[in-house]
Amino acid sequence: MNGPRTARLVGTVLRCYPLRWRQRHGDEAAELASLLIGDGTPAGSIAWSYLAGAAREWLTPRSGRRSSAVACALLVAACSLGVSAGLLASARPARAASTSQSHPRARCWPGSPEPVLGVIPATGRPQMIVRVGGHGRSC
Amino acid sequence: MAVGRRDSRAGQDVLRRAGEASVLILISLADGPKHGYALIHDIKELAGVELGPGTLYGALDRLERLALIEPLPADDRRHPYRITAPGAAALRVHLDSVERISAAGRLRLQVGGI
Repeated sequence: MNGPRTARLVGTVLRCYPLRWRQRHGDEAAELASLLIGDGTPAGSIAWSYLAGAAREWLTPRSGRRSSAVACALLVAACSLGVSAGLLASARPARAASTSQSHPRARCWPGSPEPVLGVIPATGRPQMIVRVGGHGRSC
Repeated sequence: MAVGRRDSRAGQDVLRRAGEASVLILISLADGPKHGYALIHDIKELAGVELGPGTLYGALDRLERLALIEPLPADDRRHPYRITAPGAAALRVHLDSVERISAAGRLRLQVGGI
């Protein structure tokens, strides 16, 4: 991965931390990441470590940040994810139905597993179907 | 009661549930102040453990909240940390506890003839 892209990746992940943390450690954390990348540590593993750290930082109750506020934030995040998934699901069936019937991948081809988005007629809901050796298995 | 005695010991050893990263950081700081990059390198040499930077900052914040370490004035953008007197005491208690458990384990291996 090249320099600017790596810096952008780390910068994006560091923005996931609370403002208080960024004000305290932000500059040092960015510098530490560039030093570690210079030593040969993969940028992805650094970004992942910071991402996990940011999640822990938000989930750890602090004085001044009540656990109920943390729970509320998590609930709002979960709801928005659910709404997004619902919107995606409602937008897909028509398109998925047409592609699953006409697209050659929807047939039972033997070979390596490949995910195919299709519609189960009984439910009308889109489901991911993994075809292994010509047999479909919904997951 | 055995359970009560164990609980009171756990109260003394504040590092018992602090996690490996926190203990390694305290051990690394025991011979002098270090900043994040130096800590990661020292811990890798000392214990063969590669601390991720996210884990490092989480453990540093936790140890600072417990007053076991304290930040020193920033050197450029880097904040060195040093172990406090309560931190050194907590590390001694924890290492003693680990030694006791280690000795008991070795003894049992001898008794068991394994």
